[in-house]
Amino acid sequence: SSSSSSSFDLRSYWTTLLTQVNSSLSSAVPVVFPDSIHLSMRHSLLSPAAKRAPPVLCIAAACDLLGSPLPAALPTACALEMVHSASLVHDDLPCMDASPLRRGRPSTHSLFGPALAVLAGDALFPLAFHHIISQTPASLVPPSALLAVISEISRAVGSTGMAAGQCLDLTTTSSSCSDDILEIVDKKFGEMAECSAACGGIIGGGTEEEVGRLRKYGRAVGVLYQLVDDVLMEEANGTTMRSNGSVVRAVGMERALEMVEELRETAKRELDEGFGDRYGDGLMPLYSFVDYAVERGFDA
Amino acid sequence: DESTTATATKFDFKSYMSDKASLINRSLDLAVPPSHPDRIHEAMRYSLLAGGKRVRPILCLAAYELLSTDPDASAAIPAALSIEMIHTMSLVHDDLPCMDDDSLRRGRPTCHVAFGEPLAVLAGDALLALAFHHLSSATPAPAPLVLRSVAELSRCVGSRGLVAGQVVDIESTGASAAPSLEHLEYIHVHKTAALLEAAVVLGAILAGGTDEQIEKLRKFARCIGLLFQVVDDILDVTKSSQELGKTAGKDLVTDKTTYPKLMGLERSREFAGELLRDAKEQLAEFDAEKAAPLLHLADYIAYRQK
Repeated sequence: SSSSSSSFDLRSYWTTLLTQVNSSLSSAVPVVFPDSIHLSMRHSLLSPAAKRAPPVLCIAAACDLLGSPLPAALPTACALEMVHSASLVHDDLPCMDASPLRRGRPSTHSLFGPALAVLAGDALFPLAFHHIISQTPASLVPPSALLAVISEISRAVGSTGMAAGQCLDLTTTSSSCSDDILEIVDKKFGEMAECSAACGGIIGGGTEEEVGRLRKYGRAVGVLYQLVDDVLMEEANGTTMRSNGSVVRAVGMERALEMVEELRETAKRELDEGFGDRYGDGLMPLYSFVDYAVERGFDA
Repeated sequence: DESTTATATKFDFKSYMSDKASLINRSLDLAVPPSHPDRIHEAMRYSLLAGGKRVRPILCLAAYELLSTDPDASAAIPAALSIEMIHTMSLVHDDLPCMDDDSLRRGRPTCHVAFGEPLAVLAGDALLALAFHHLSSATPAPAPLVLRSVAELSRCVGSRGLVAGQVVDIESTGASAAPSLEHLEYIHVHKTAALLEAAVVLGAILAGGTDEQIEKLRKFARCIGLLFQVVDDILDVTKSSQELGKTAGKDLVTDKTTYPKLMGLERSREFAGELLRDAKEQLAEFDAEKAAPLLHLADYIAYRQK
């Protein structure tokens, strides 16, 4: 039977990791010539309100679950956040979502102009890969694992992953069918979460089966989080930020809530079946993310 | 067999370039097949398979062949393709309305004109991702070498490389003080030479070159990168539009800083000559036959007429 995560202090766990991730990210982008590009990259990356879900997922899998020391996973965790931020910078562009704000602050193009915002995104992608290679202690992670991580991240953000989701989203209308909507959510949000968990598994030296379990867990959690977002928005004021792309609009509230429970169960099952009897407490962070995604409160 | 033919006859540069370009084009086509979602892959293919001499990927293969004992350069093909993917995506993003705002490239509508801005942004992003994916997953070489290649490529195209050049270029446009020679060189070294450097160095790394050999090739690439720009500037002044195939004298009319403007035409020609000599000097210690493609490429860049 599934274990309860209510006794795990997710808030403290997350806050501690946040501090380390943020510090690492800041060091990764010093302001050097040309100043403007580095300032715009820092602006994109170092937002105080950022949740840092991709890095935390990665570290929870690599370190808490599979026992790797933090220095082994931290560079990859940061890289995940770099590519995540890069995609958000481009998402906000005037020719895309045209968002003046992001995470409560001016979006990068609002402050630096669209040209620098395009280039900031273009620079953050390669920085992520360079960061992984230059900052991961060679004694802790073999080259083949780093290559697998790089391959994984570049696939997840590309034309069959996040960029695919963005592409499909360009043509969503209020009459888009539910399959299309779900595919978009899957690619825009499920992909990154799957990638983060999988990278954690690879860094942690997980077996092929274990990494496969983490993939499925990650994908379920990623989609789950967005689904709950849509539900909460709909409940709050009857509209969602992504009205046309809202899953609730596509399948109705009842089915949406059913899906929430199905995904919650799937995520936990992958953990239980893949790791349950051997890893005990190491599972707690990953486990409690699932409940947090649904309940949105930090217990204890 | 091939090597006997090479010693017996003069090196046929034209055929070499044409053969390699065909190989690159075939490989690019296979690397980005039409897939779901249709539109993003169409946009990627539209920009990537737009023709061109494929100088950058060919440089990668030539550098590999210079240092490798392999019968062919197939091990370097993923690297060569990754360079061309990044070159393409930088052009796609450069052409955007919020950047250089170009509607034509080689006589064809630019990507954003053909597919819309949003798709052009995404196609560029996807090509950047694919470059790294292809390099890291398809290169048949020991992991440490592939990793080193990825590190090199990421350094060359990032905020201290290609992007740095683009940023400084953007910020120079319309600046009140005329840019200095150092400034001009910074732009060319980063905006143009960096990717040529990556091409050559990736080939050298994957061939198992020593650090010393890699550095010679790096220097070679920097010389020809700068040489390319100097010659471009000279041609703009000296040739007619018809000969060039593009608007001549454009540099004079615009505020664009060029080598002839900064140092005069004669000194620019001298400088080009120095760069060509420097480039070839880097290859002096290598087998002349194996170095032939790279030497001819340097000559081609220096003596081309358009």
